Amino acid sequence: MRMLDLLVIGAGLTGLFAAYTAARAGLRVRVIAHGAGATHWHAGTIDLLGYVQNSEEAVADWTQALPELPPAHPYSLLGVDTIATALDAFQRLTAAAGLPYVRPGVTMILPVPNAPEEPISQKSDLDNEVDNDNLGRNCQLISPVGAPRPVYLAPAAQQAANLEDDRPLVIVGLEGMPDFYPDLIAENLQRQGHRARSVTVPLSRITKQRDSNPLQVSRLLDQPLAQAQFTEMLVNLSVAGERVGLPAVLGLNAHAALVTQLHEAITNRSQQDTQSSQSKQAGISVFEIPTLPPSVPGLRLDAALRAQLDRLGVRVEIGMEVCAFHATGRRILWIETETGSRPLRHTARNYLLATGGILGGGIYADRCGRVKETVFDLPLTAPQARSHWLRPLFLDKRGHPIFQAGVSVNHHFRPLDQSDAPVYDNLWAAGSILAHTDPVRERSREGIAIATGYAAANGVIKSK
Amino acid sequence: MKRMQTEILVIGGGATGTGVAWDAALRGFRTVLIEKRDLTHGTTGRYHGLLHSGARYVLKDPDSAVECINENRILRRTHTHCIEDTSGFFVVTPEDEDDYPDRFAAACRRLDVPCTEIPAASALRREPLLNPRISRVFELPDAAADSFLATHATAQAARQAGATLLPYHELTRLRLSGGDGNRTLSGATVLDTVSGEELHIDADLVINAAGAWSGHVAALAGVEVKMILGKGVMLATNARLTNTVINRCKMPGDGDILVPIHTVTVIGTTDERVAEPEDLPIEQWEIDLMLTEGDKLVPGLSRSRILRAWAGVRPLYQETQLAGGPAQSENGAQSNECPATELPQDSRDATRALALLDHQQRDGIRGFITITGGKWTTFRLMAESAVDAACEQLGVSRHCRTAGTPVPGVEQGHYWLGHRLSEVEDEKLQSELICECELVTRSMLEGAVQRNPTVTLDDLRRDVRLGMGPCQGGFCTYRAVGILHQLRAGEASPAAGEWNVAHMQSPAHHHRDSAAAEATGTGSESALSPTPTPTDDSHQRSAAVDPQAAVSQPNLLLRDFLQERWKGVAPILWGQQLRQERLDELIYLSILNAGHLPVDYGESPLSSFYRSDSSISGSDR
Repeated sequence: MRMLDLLVIGAGLTGLFAAYTAARAGLRVRVIAHGAGATHWHAGTIDLLGYVQNSEEAVADWTQALPELPPAHPYSLLGVDTIATALDAFQRLTAAAGLPYVRPGVTMILPVPNAPEEPISQKSDLDNEVDNDNLGRNCQLISPVGAPRPVYLAPAAQQAANLEDDRPLVIVGLEGMPDFYPDLIAENLQRQGHRARSVTVPLSRITKQRDSNPLQVSRLLDQPLAQAQFTEMLVNLSVAGERVGLPAVLGLNAHAALVTQLHEAITNRSQQDTQSSQSKQAGISVFEIPTLPPSVPGLRLDAALRAQLDRLGVRVEIGMEVCAFHATGRRILWIETETGSRPLRHTARNYLLATGGILGGGIYADRCGRVKETVFDLPLTAPQARSHWLRPLFLDKRGHPIFQAGVSVNHHFRPLDQSDAPVYDNLWAAGSILAHTDPVRERSREGIAIATGYAAANGVIKSK
Repeated sequence: MKRMQTEILVIGGGATGTGVAWDAALRGFRTVLIEKRDLTHGTTGRYHGLLHSGARYVLKDPDSAVECINENRILRRTHTHCIEDTSGFFVVTPEDEDDYPDRFAAACRRLDVPCTEIPAASALRREPLLNPRISRVFELPDAAADSFLATHATAQAARQAGATLLPYHELTRLRLSGGDGNRTLSGATVLDTVSGEELHIDADLVINAAGAWSGHVAALAGVEVKMILGKGVMLATNARLTNTVINRCKMPGDGDILVPIHTVTVIGTTDERVAEPEDLPIEQWEIDLMLTEGDKLVPGLSRSRILRAWAGVRPLYQETQLAGGPAQSENGAQSNECPATELPQDSRDATRALALLDHQQRDGIRGFITITGGKWTTFRLMAESAVDAACEQLGVSRHCRTAGTPVPGVEQGHYWLGHRLSEVEDEKLQSELICECELVTRSMLEGAVQRNPTVTLDDLRRDVRLGMGPCQGGFCTYRAVGILHQLRAGEASPAAGEWNVAHMQSPAHHHRDSAAAEATGTGSESALSPTPTPTDDSHQRSAAVDPQAAVSQPNLLLRDFLQERWKGVAPILWGQQLRQERLDELIYLSILNAGHLPVDYGESPLSSFYRSDSSISGSDR
């Protein structure tokens, strides 16, 4: 058996996208992870840079905001071009997977029920050119309390939530699903000057269950009968010209078909109502608003990435917690993962650490104030004492210092020791484990995952 | 300005004040209670939840021990459903001094505190996580008490007896009339902190039951009451480590007690003298001490997941002014016999016995009584002593009835851990689960909002344990805000009205009520939505605290509760709980963007309290 070129540790967006990037370049890649990534918890959007320190205002154009970031910030190491190239590669992946990610307000696209089996080229995406026209502009989508969410790319089903769109909104809740409150969303939207109303429809026509979470409803809506009943309910309550906002439950596997069906049914109804051949295509008439975890859009994204990796022959193995590693000098020779009987040894030429930060489990902070990287015990940049970890106010704009703890890397995304030299010659790190950023405060989680995962993978490719 | 007239005005809505209102109303007095925040917002809502057997104080403070064991017996009858009959172990660890256990057992016998020595091996069989090196174990009738529920049940009993309870009414002024030697307290001016309106309450007699705040209240009447405030820090683990209350068999000290209460174990406590009852920072050393000491009872406790830390203030009192000490109440509550001159330096040494100050005798002010000191366990006795003194001042003879009057809900029997789960399972199809950690359903939440004044989500937490589990509000805060917002719009589900405050821990209980009503021939329609008795209903909700108005700012409710939860988790964030908090950040910042919601006016009556109360010491601000 040929030796692995790259073993990725971590199956979040970072790890999966890095594995995809490397595999497309012809490397033999495998992903191992303790558990599924944090993709399942977030909104399924690509947040690139929503807020920078000391500013209340959301970032309108992230390309303009990059210079405000500290020099050690992962984006500062990458620069605009690499970030844009990485996002472009990501968009093409999602289009190929039938779950297209778009720039709300810039491009408009419906998800395609049957994904085009676009031939995957072996060519590196670094060589592709990026369209720089209006690159960088964030949009504001709708949060589940009706606050604006600064987002760069969104799955097609979320694009019509764009708050720059001036069509009135009807927010639809589902009675019996306590993770979504349409009245609250509509009221907060009104207070921000948007035309919004709310409606609650009963789930009882579709299910007998009285207490459903978003994941359960999405699985229900994969079924044709439920889809038909649901479409009928929605068509009857929408008014011409309105866009319909729903919790993100519009199917898991049959998502594209359901969104298309809903859009067409609502648009047709609208045109009948106005009794004119007003063929002006105003945009997609239905959209999703993310919910509390588990995140259905996140699960779809995870499934799309895994499907693409599968096509490239990359195995993703969950349930593998690294318990030991061995290095000689500056090379990691193998790592071992826990199994029921004895540790399982994995050997590869290169290793990419994408285990996430404190949330993902890549970093563990104990009661004595020790902050540890959990796989290789790498040196970390972290606040010294526990008394410096947190601030007195939860919503403090500056964020809590402990959540900036992470691995410092060089331009190639190689973890560095205290003297700024790479710790190992065959180790890379990417994603939320990186220091000098707080992806939750910045709203940069997915941007950092994609861009640094892409850059680290390319570092591996070039080192070959 | 609004005016009210009453016979007895009670200041303080903790266990004691609520008990006083209950007692006074049962004796037929027109009674009004004011509380500056929500009921149980003070020390009552911040203690470990122990129903004392008295054993803890048999050697150190025998007066208090006798009060405790007597009240322990009474409360098991009057507040049965608020008590989990856990029993209590006093265990001798290798570190504890040798002769204390024998002196302890002898003192228990002397004071009639039931105490049985059991083999250490059988104690370990019952509590396998206990330190295997314990040498001796004594079993006593300690128990776990839900002070939130007990106070609400007492409050409901008080309302049924005709009392008016006004939470979110802050005392601003006490009115004195008459000159020297003939001064009389004739009433109070209070501020409705929600509406901002002032209210005059004329009263024949004022009972100060403000606990740790008693000194502040007395000062408004120009009287000095020097409280000894002992701050106690407590920690809650994410699961029950034992099902029995565990005490170290030694002189009471720091971190020597574990109380299993609801789904958690509480480790208590420290005793630090503080000057003020508010703004209580939790120091890192206090947490470390608690965990180190806890390890001696349950080895490995310090590695368990800690959910939260909080601090309460014991309202201890030792008379310094008068040679005679505090007045003795008729029913034999012991006066404290400490030398009148010196004030103990350490609050750990101050007596836990109750203190009744008749200001007519003590300071020459008629119509004013302070009841303080004591333990949660003795709240009923404190109320009895205070109202006895009130009767004497008012020149009437009416006997206390509380010891023989169960509060609403006792028919449910003792609380047990599976109580809520079994009833939620029965109810599964009736209502949505809002808080997975503490099994709060939508109907419980709606009932609590309609029955109790709700100014903040924290008020709902005290009612139904919202946000008290491992995720500390991560999922339920958003849902509760959404539901409160719907309630404002008048979308309460019809089931909500069936709720009874006393059954907060027991969502299905009204079904049994309905069944009983049907059996007695009431029509099935009324059985499905039993209407409360008129007295009950008319006093359920104070006029000033209108829940409709209170929830008009859902965005503020959300932010307030996030901060309220934060101040209690910040001192213990490490390991898995830090990770949990990061998930909460992801939800509230990244998914909801709660920091960028429109807020009309940025403050609720409690916003500043949540910011200031407890915080992490040493952090840069």
